[in-house]
Amino acid sequence: MIINPSLQRKINLENEMSYKKLLSRLPDLIFQLTYTKNGQIVFPFFNKAVIDYFELSKEEIRTFNISSIFKSKIYESDFLQLLESVEQLNNLDSSWSFEFRAVLPTKGLRWFKAVANVEKSIDDEITLFGRMTDITEEKEKEIHLKLSEERFQFALEASTNGVWDLDIKNDRVFYSSQSMKMLEFDEADIIDTHQKWDERIHPDDLDDYQSAFNKHLLNETPFYENAKRMLTKTGKYKWILSRGKIIERDEKGFPIRLTGTHTDITELKQQEKKLLQTLEIINEQNGRLMNFAHIVSHNLSSHTSNFKMLLDLIEEEKDTGTIAEIHNHLRTSSNALSQTIEHLKELVDINTGVVQKKENLNLNLYLNKVLSVLSEEISNNKVKIYNKIPKDYNVSFNPSYLESILLNFTTNAIKYSHPDRVPEIKYDLKSDKGKTLLEIRDNGLGIDMEKYGQKLFGMYKTFHNNTNARGIGLFITKNQIEAMGGKVEVESKANVGTTFKIYFNNEI
Amino acid sequence: MKFSDVFVVDDDKIFHFIIKKLLLSNNINVEPSFFENGLLALEGIQNKMNKGENPPDLILLDINMPILDGWQFLEEFKRIKSKIAKEITIYIVSSSDNKADLNKAKEYQEEVSDYYLKPMTVDDLHEIFYK
Repeated sequence: MIINPSLQRKINLENEMSYKKLLSRLPDLIFQLTYTKNGQIVFPFFNKAVIDYFELSKEEIRTFNISSIFKSKIYESDFLQLLESVEQLNNLDSSWSFEFRAVLPTKGLRWFKAVANVEKSIDDEITLFGRMTDITEEKEKEIHLKLSEERFQFALEASTNGVWDLDIKNDRVFYSSQSMKMLEFDEADIIDTHQKWDERIHPDDLDDYQSAFNKHLLNETPFYENAKRMLTKTGKYKWILSRGKIIERDEKGFPIRLTGTHTDITELKQQEKKLLQTLEIINEQNGRLMNFAHIVSHNLSSHTSNFKMLLDLIEEEKDTGTIAEIHNHLRTSSNALSQTIEHLKELVDINTGVVQKKENLNLNLYLNKVLSVLSEEISNNKVKIYNKIPKDYNVSFNPSYLESILLNFTTNAIKYSHPDRVPEIKYDLKSDKGKTLLEIRDNGLGIDMEKYGQKLFGMYKTFHNNTNARGIGLFITKNQIEAMGGKVEVESKANVGTTFKIYFNNEI
Repeated sequence: MKFSDVFVVDDDKIFHFIIKKLLLSNNINVEPSFFENGLLALEGIQNKMNKGENPPDLILLDINMPILDGWQFLEEFKRIKSKIAKEITIYIVSSSDNKADLNKAKEYQEEVSDYYLKPMTVDDLHEIFYK
């Protein structure tokens, strides 16, 4: 078909009209922007929606240049940036987008996003054809999110607590920088799996941790809480308290996400430990005080009651022979009382630290000294001595106490040797749970621990029919060891022998 | 006289002397047997029974003694009590007014009838033997 040119023109014109109509009626905000050769921005076309949306009044449109009215609505700083972004468009750019703020008479401050196609004419004029969208709501949400994100980030960094977030499904975990810092890690270190973190848990705390965690996973506890020791990057252990809660479950109810916090409670734990130690010392001192009260009631009052009863007797007595006998008993009681008072004085001295000066003493040397003092008794009783104490081991102790202790244990071992065998005494240095102890083992009579164990170190306790026994030695010995911060233990079996274990407290 | 066969169990020999004198001067006609510790006293009871004699009817028991003390004696006594046909009265006689000891004596209510604090007086003896 041949179309005559005038009809063709008419059709073209009609098409153009309808496009224009279409364009101007579109609800979208359609615009054309031209960047002129002399660096000006003009808007050759806006559709009606723009005029309506930007609340341009008829008055304004009539009296002013529409480009300048539109420009005046845009934030000045945003317009300068817009200008800059258009200027920077080069030949390769085919599209352009820009966000800006405008202040509208009734709508107020709105955010817009402009998207456009770029066309460059031969004479370097740039023209943009595009569309604007009101993105205020999105922008507000974004700003809001950014703000809370920033606040959260700040909280993470400012808080001394760490935060963790475990994605069970994908086996990924996030540890905040504070959590990382607790273990002396920095940003460059990557701990992104549960396993890498768990590897650092103290082996002794692993079971408790796993059971606490599983209990929460199984819904047995409303939240997860566990304190454990964790290895830091430099190889120290820190006490970390971890708390958390399931925050997301899948449709079957299985937990898929947990988050929680980390708190460094090392200092707290140390204070707790110190407190316990103090309590222990107080208990110990209290125990000694009670023991002392007990001694006084037992040993002093037995003498005073003898005095009272003997004096009562002497008043009634007429027979001079009996009176002399009572006098004798009074003297005996008086001597015994003096001796008890001497012992108590010694005990008080030990416990109040009058002679508690500690020195660094070579244990082997001191033992040899004591053994040479006792050499006559040792050879008379044909005692075999085994001294296995290393030559270079030192203890922090009061010299006279150390001598007295070694002397006491050794004489006891000789005194209570078994008549049927050659007496042996073995001195050895052992280690028990990181603490060093002196072991003195004999093959003597031994003691029935079930019967006497509790009273072995008591005052004036004797257990064998030995007339020399005064029952003061072990009592004083125990007090001396404890005054030096150590402790003494005993193992014994009747007819087999006795082993004393002396723990030294070598922290000066 | 309530009691005629008396055991005094005390490691203090002066106390043995005092008891002997007190009984004599108060005309309490009893000749006690003296033991220096719990073990010897138990052996004393055993000996009597072996010989077919009656066990003692009163034991004055000290607490603090070597070898076998008062409490240990009571533990052993508990065990052999059922074999003894006769009722034996036990009084603790101790210089200890320590609460721990007084409370512990209450644990032996079945065995121990009373607790006398040293020094013993004439009144105490009268109470024991006449009341």
